[in-house]
Amino acid sequence: MIALLPLDDYTLRVVALGAATLGVVAGALGTFAVLRRQALVGDAISHAALPGIALAYLVTGGKASLPLMIGAALTGFLAVLLVSAVVRTTRVRQDAGLGIWLAVFFGAGLVLLTYLQRRPDASQAGLDRFLFGQAATLLEEDVVTMAVAGVLALATLALLWKEVKILSFDPELGATLGLPMRLVDVVLTGLLVVAIVIGLQTVGAVLMAAMIVAPAAAARQWTDRLGVMTILASVLGALAGVLGALASAEVSRLPTGPTIVVIATALVALSLLGAPRRGLVARALAARRARRRLGPAQVLADLDQLERLHGAATQGHHAATIAALERVDVGPALAELERRGLVERREGDLWALTERGREEAARR
Amino acid sequence: MSAPALEIADLTVAYGERPVLWDVDLTVPAGSLTAIVGPNGAGKTTLLRSVLGLVRPAAGLALVLGRPYPEQRRLVAYVPQRGSVDWDFPTDVRDVVLMGRYGRLGWVRRPGREDRQAADEALRQVGMEGFARRQISQLSGGQQQRVFLARALVQEAELYLMDEPFQGVDATTELAIVELLRSLRARGKTIVCVHHDLQTVPEYFDRVELLNVRKIAGGPVEEVFTEENLRRTYGGRSAAFGRLAGS
Repeated sequence: MIALLPLDDYTLRVVALGAATLGVVAGALGTFAVLRRQALVGDAISHAALPGIALAYLVTGGKASLPLMIGAALTGFLAVLLVSAVVRTTRVRQDAGLGIWLAVFFGAGLVLLTYLQRRPDASQAGLDRFLFGQAATLLEEDVVTMAVAGVLALATLALLWKEVKILSFDPELGATLGLPMRLVDVVLTGLLVVAIVIGLQTVGAVLMAAMIVAPAAAARQWTDRLGVMTILASVLGALAGVLGALASAEVSRLPTGPTIVVIATALVALSLLGAPRRGLVARALAARRARRRLGPAQVLADLDQLERLHGAATQGHHAATIAALERVDVGPALAELERRGLVERREGDLWALTERGREEAARR
Repeated sequence: MSAPALEIADLTVAYGERPVLWDVDLTVPAGSLTAIVGPNGAGKTTLLRSVLGLVRPAAGLALVLGRPYPEQRRLVAYVPQRGSVDWDFPTDVRDVVLMGRYGRLGWVRRPGREDRQAADEALRQVGMEGFARRQISQLSGGQQQRVFLARALVQEAELYLMDEPFQGVDATTELAIVELLRSLRARGKTIVCVHHDLQTVPEYFDRVELLNVRKIAGGPVEEVFTEENLRRTYGGRSAAFGRLAGS
């Protein structure tokens, strides 16, 4: 597939590399955001990054990506700190705290962007690319910055693997073992900030949170191992990033962020449906097999119990009565039992045990 | 005479205005098996958590084997309620047990062969050998509890603080846990369990602490586990306990 793409084109190669970098880092760090149920934190960080970009531009006056990324990281991280301060000191819960600060920072970011666009140098700034992302604006030096930051973030994650794992699974155990869970939490949040900031120029502040959640959510469906999930989320993130960035570079006026996110979401949908064991299809098949196996025996026992309750003189019971006990469709099980001569259908659509059925039920 | 395994003095914990624990004193001798008993909201879990520094007390002191808890962290293993973690987390049984070793490993280092042997041995002690590579989402409630106990065992602690280890487990697991607690006690370890089932207190434990925000009574089961004390602990709902305390 890669061979079909015009990767000898310099711009496209840069764009694809940038998108792959953002996907890899967002997938890996997103794994922990998803497992810790902190998807909203990612959303708050990415929105809160916007005023940081505008402020960094105001201060430095240039559009080199490193100062802008640093500005984005600072306000993004500040927002998380403010959220936890609010949650600690007031009765506001975390979701409300995130919502409040997300709105405050994003609003401030939009005000600053609007102000900047009225300035004479606005057209050169092109800061609005940070809203929805525009991969075509990626320069080689941007991608180098992204890659360096990303590699540092992933290396930190690898070094702190067991601390991060215990923080995600059971932070209180970590605390009783003497591990500095607060510090690990701050570091992991910092890495999440890096992952988000890396993607801002390509995916944009509005949708970057989706790149944190989607690859990890898709990867979770395919594996039950944390390491495999992290790597797979990276691969899926890179895949969505590259496909989306290339599509938006090929088709004019197609914004990159939404395109990448649509592809990532499609990967989630495919995984939810098709993954072995956890997927909807696999679970439906497993449930059907289980019903086939347990169904007839259980229905026989139910009929036996109903007969005891009502006395042997009973006329039989409606399928709906039995189904109420099992909360499933018992039709196939009754048909199977009838074929084996263990139950009989009587007048008025009632079902009752045959003599053989009674013996069979008693033997169990 | 060695120091008590756990000594709590003047412990007071409040959530906002409401005191959860008020001026609790408590001494647990080393090598004993103690139940903490009391109605819902009596502060039993909070007591364990404040010893472990997971809850900040308004006042009071906890000594583990004669020294403050932060200095003795390695000697204390905590078994929280099963529901405190997400059992759909992508990991397996041995990995969860190995987490009990993370404290002694230090930064960056991964568990080694010795740690894995300790984990497998702990799993054997709780009757879960053969489950090492089992996905934790596929465990029954009783099996989850055993995994938590194995995780505490690999810490090789002196004092085990357990929050309702018998909660919602099957009869087989309950027996296995009782056996395990007794074998720990036989090796000189100390166990403190938050416990709900009054019927089994005299059979499973040798000491009991009755708690309802304040400490009502504490000591050997045969002395303290009386109808009178239970009535004082549980307030009006006392009629049912006469039979229990007498048995």
